[in-house]
Amino acid sequence: MMRTATATYWLTKRALREALRQPEVELPQILIPLFFLATIIGAANQIAPQAFGVSNYTGFQVPVAMVQAVAGVASVSGIVMVTDIERGYFDKLLLTPTPRIALVLSRLVADAVRATVVSTVILVVGLAIGSPLEAGVGGAVILVLLMGAFGAAYSGIGLAISLRTGNPQAAQLGILIFFPLLFLSTAFAPKEVFEPWLETVAEFNPVTYLLAGMRSLVLEGWDGADLGYAFAAVGGIGGFSLGLTMLALRLRAR
Amino acid sequence: MGAMPAIEAVALVKEYERGVRALDGVSLSVEAGEIFGFLGQNGSGKSTTIRILTTLLAPTAGSGRIGGLDIRREAGAVREKIGVALQEAGLDDLQTGRELLVLQGHLYGMSGGAVERWVVELLQIVDLEDAAERPIRTYSGGMKRRLDLASALVHAPEIVFLDEPTTGLDPIAREGIWRYIERLNREDGVTFFLTTQYLEEADRLAQRIMILEAGRIVAEGSPEALKAAIATDVVTVQVGEASAVGRAADVAQGLAGVEDVRRTDTAVAIYLPEGSAAVARIVRLLDEAQVPVASITLARPTLDDVFLRATGHHLAVDEGLDGATA
Ligand SMILES: Nc1ncnc2c1ncn2[C@@H]1O[C@H](COP(=O)(O)OP(=O)(O)OP(=O)(O)O)[C@@H](O)[C@H]1O
Ligand SMILES: [Mg+2]
Repeated sequence: MMRTATATYWLTKRALREALRQPEVELPQILIPLFFLATIIGAANQIAPQAFGVSNYTGFQVPVAMVQAVAGVASVSGIVMVTDIERGYFDKLLLTPTPRIALVLSRLVADAVRATVVSTVILVVGLAIGSPLEAGVGGAVILVLLMGAFGAAYSGIGLAISLRTGNPQAAQLGILIFFPLLFLSTAFAPKEVFEPWLETVAEFNPVTYLLAGMRSLVLEGWDGADLGYAFAAVGGIGGFSLGLTMLALRLRAR
Repeated sequence: MGAMPAIEAVALVKEYERGVRALDGVSLSVEAGEIFGFLGQNGSGKSTTIRILTTLLAPTAGSGRIGGLDIRREAGAVREKIGVALQEAGLDDLQTGRELLVLQGHLYGMSGGAVERWVVELLQIVDLEDAAERPIRTYSGGMKRRLDLASALVHAPEIVFLDEPTTGLDPIAREGIWRYIERLNREDGVTFFLTTQYLEEADRLAQRIMILEAGRIVAEGSPEALKAAIATDVVTVQVGEASAVGRAADVAQGLAGVEDVRRTDTAVAIYLPEGSAAVARIVRLLDEAQVPVASITLARPTLDDVFLRATGHHLAVDEGLDGATA
């Protein structure tokens, strides 16, 4: 246990240090979602109240940008891992007595930290361009914590692919997989206005519940049930992706 | 003596793909405090053996022990004991040399102050103090090699595996590494298992060597014993025309007392006792057979001859292969 904790601590430190040394990798994860945020608001802001029944479309979209940014940074983690594998550095780590689980845990912790940072930036920008935040400062804290948890949960996808394939091209799938997940959720409009098939799909999509919980904090205030579903959705994504990651880790590392 | 071996392998087999055997029953035993040299041409299975013994790779069959610990069942404890530098230096571009070594120390459970102090010394040993604060991305190939070597020694392991530790190093750096290996072995009793392409390196460092050929062991012993076992001299005839090598070999086969004849593209190596007495006769017979002779040398057997005898070919073309160095 002690061993796992100290190894995780040192490896997390390394992961964060390297993230700081590559601003060119981290910054796009913030800028691209902000670009989408601006264009979507630009396109739909005027029609949203009548068309979707959404009072503040900026507030409706800020959680989408946060989720997107966090999925981005979480996916970078898989790419970093695959680079370590390709360079042989991962083998060097495997040759040490480091508990195997620490190799994954350290990435998850670092991703959670990175996720809270990028989601905070997006939230601040969102507030600056007119998003409400009905749940106040406490709501902001919960939003960011939720994003930290989602970051760790989502990075499992990229980590699993990297560990299993060791292939940098495949590692890119981490972020590509996210787009269908996002588009098949309530990212653009409430599901009440969807075609029935899309409504059904969205109802099975955990991202829908994640967004609902976040939007409740932004647009309405405190809603225990919505928040519970949001955390459960993150737990579901995490359970699935980290299960795969552990399986892939066991196959790669003895 | 009588103590348990530092490294032991029993009938290791590795099949990467079904039916293709990279290792075909490798057994070996290295005593504590020994420097053991593992030779073999490209693809003979040296790195595979190291990856198995260092717990990175599971063997298809067979077993291994490091300091008495089973490489499969006690892999974690084995990793505590060993230091490893693989053939490809496995480094991380974004850390500095110092950061990488310090992290390595922490992963072996060393405490802060001790790691920092020891890393300073280690950087000096591998002559990287000046580059210590630079990202590894900016290191030259040889610098990376030396850093990788240092990373294998951070936790002062009892048993060290080095896969071609000096390939790609300049002669000065190579000499420095050799001295350091010798010192660790002499002063601290560190056991070394090293593979090399350089016979000169094996001859200088290894107290015992093993030659691997296509996944099987074909020779084993101290360099001296292996050379002595040939018990002959080697007359090497460099033939002026490649087309005449066959004729030269025929002549050599016909010599009285000849023990073995090995040919390469341009030369024939004749193994026979009392080589000096035979040279004049060889020259005369080659002349009669109209073989143009570029040069003829007489030598005591070298490790290269041992290798040639055991495998039927030279190990590699490098500075140690000059036949006439003895
Ligand atoms: N991951 C792998 N998958 C399939 N075959 C492999 C793999 N690694 C090695 N081999 C094969 O196993 C054999 C032994 O390879 P190995 O790397 O152990 O040789 P080596 O003696 O270290 O060679 P070199 O001197 O070139 O380093 C070779 O035929 C090689 O092609
Ligand atoms: Mg090799």
